[in-house]
Amino acid sequence: MKMPDLSTTDSAIKLVRWLVLPGQSVKRGQSLCEIETDKAASEVESIVTGVLKEFRAQPGDLVVVGQELALFETETPSTPAPAAAVAPAKGPGLFARNRATVPATSPSPPIVLSQSQQTLGRRLQASKQTIPHFYLQASANAEPMIRRRNAASPKPVWEAFFVSAIGKVLKDFERIRWRLGEEGVIAAPNSDIGVAVDVKGDLFVAAMAAPPGSSVEEISNDIRARVREIEEGAGEARGIRPAAITITNLGATPVESFAAIINPPEVAILAIGKIGPVPIVQDGRVAIQHRVALTLSADHRVINGKYAADFMGAIIREIEAF
Amino acid sequence: MPAQKPYEKSFVLSLYERMVLIREFEERVKFLFLEGAMPGTIHQCQGQEATATGVCASLNPDDWITSTFRGHGHALAKGLTAQELLDELFGARTGCCKGKGGSMHVGNMKKGMVPGIAIVAGGIPLAAGMALAFKMRGSRQVVACFFGDGAVAEGAFHEGVNMAALWKLPVLFVCENNLYGASTHVSKVMKDTCISRRASHYGFNGQTVDGNDVLAVYEAARQAVADCRSGHGPVLLELLTYRRTGHSRRDTCAYQPKEEREDWFSRDPLDRFAAVLIQRGDISQADLDQIKSGVEQQINEAVEMAKKAPLAGPEELLQDVFAPLS
Repeated sequence: MKMPDLSTTDSAIKLVRWLVLPGQSVKRGQSLCEIETDKAASEVESIVTGVLKEFRAQPGDLVVVGQELALFETETPSTPAPAAAVAPAKGPGLFARNRATVPATSPSPPIVLSQSQQTLGRRLQASKQTIPHFYLQASANAEPMIRRRNAASPKPVWEAFFVSAIGKVLKDFERIRWRLGEEGVIAAPNSDIGVAVDVKGDLFVAAMAAPPGSSVEEISNDIRARVREIEEGAGEARGIRPAAITITNLGATPVESFAAIINPPEVAILAIGKIGPVPIVQDGRVAIQHRVALTLSADHRVINGKYAADFMGAIIREIEAF
Repeated sequence: MPAQKPYEKSFVLSLYERMVLIREFEERVKFLFLEGAMPGTIHQCQGQEATATGVCASLNPDDWITSTFRGHGHALAKGLTAQELLDELFGARTGCCKGKGGSMHVGNMKKGMVPGIAIVAGGIPLAAGMALAFKMRGSRQVVACFFGDGAVAEGAFHEGVNMAALWKLPVLFVCENNLYGASTHVSKVMKDTCISRRASHYGFNGQTVDGNDVLAVYEAARQAVADCRSGHGPVLLELLTYRRTGHSRRDTCAYQPKEEREDWFSRDPLDRFAAVLIQRGDISQADLDQIKSGVEQQINEAVEMAKKAPLAGPEELLQDVFAPLS
């Protein structure tokens, strides 16, 4: 007799103890053994009438559905219950019949996610499931930033401008640095600004110190250096370092705007879209201006809408003042 | 049990046979499941045979029933065959719902059973609607609507029952109170556990009956059906009974206290009715044994047929989705 499908999930069933002994006569419907599934403890009824010859599983064993439990000698081979013996069922069961109608797919090798992707996935899943995100969208005039960048050599990375802008305003928005811990709110240990970096498909966050006095060029050089460290796989560089807030930039792609998932334990993340020319109304006339769309995701447990909006406004003022 | 009423021998034996059929059917299905031969989950009614049998015996062939997901007994009591039910459970196109309903949706529109509405209390507003149709057509048909104690807490119960009361619709509301909504005892979900009393709040008659006494069920249902048919509006019958198996196949019933189980098992509807039949004097144990072996034979054959029955194919998926315009 085989283990019946008594598991509510596909998990294995634990055999707790036998209620019968080898040599004993057993009737169909009689309790054979106690089992434990992931949901409940219960008993397995015999599906055969006969003499128990031997156990095929021992107490403590994890048994899967369909695995042999015990061997029986049935008294009447012509019993109307044909599935009585331990011998494999004659012909495919219904499941097999159903499956047989589905075209067989060749088994493909299992895909293993990278360690960093697994870690990232766990963190972001927890973030999306537990943090009440809200999202603010706005756009900024990008032309001062473009002019500033074109005047420099080498050209700073775009992220440097946003890190610089946030670095200048962070001191006025202490709540952005707040973290919700198990024992209440604490402030982040530093004012670093994280930059999301894609390295060969894996996502890393490079934490940048950007004191208000530092120039865009200095920040840009720092970012380049940090990205190189990550690419070269320096252990420490790849590790997760706490920052005050993270920015994520898809400006090099056609994406105009997007909303990002907060990188815990942070309470906000700024998503930056593509810079492009758009029609605007200026002094009552339609004009063309390069603008950048920004989306701030914030944790409503710590930050409220007006506060986040003021923070966004301050960042935009800085961007437009380059 | 009102054993001394002058029931025809053939009538009481037919009740007994139907109850044995339900019990043997359910036990066989249980073992088919344990053997791994039957797919899906199942909700079984061992211990509740007298409710379905007694109520359906009071109905005419052109009367209707609705059920929820514990419908094997209701179907067999209404005249569906073990073969068409087993075929359905095996997913065969020869099943009562062409293999597309499965255990939770058994029914046969030609035999007066709407395929089971597997949502708790889902059949109640439907039955009120069917009864409204009967009333508007003047057809004098009745619908018996089976549901469990768990359904009473659903909004659909209030909606359907209230409308049926208001419009005096010919519905027999049959609450099979087996004490548990899945694993939750009635006392944990209702202050007043006498469900039949609820009928008076809606302005019609309700009655609590020993649901493990098939003749008591039959008598109460017969009177209730007569009331419904004569235009007096609905009746609520609360049938006190007990489920001998888990809520569904993998439920182990561990929440039923041992003493409670033993108490109810001593009032098993089949054992009790068998004792009553023997007491009559004109029925022997051999008569009953013969019925049992006949039923076993019938189910053995049906199982073998069902295992070989052709499965419903993907090309049938979109058939019978919409009723033809009449």
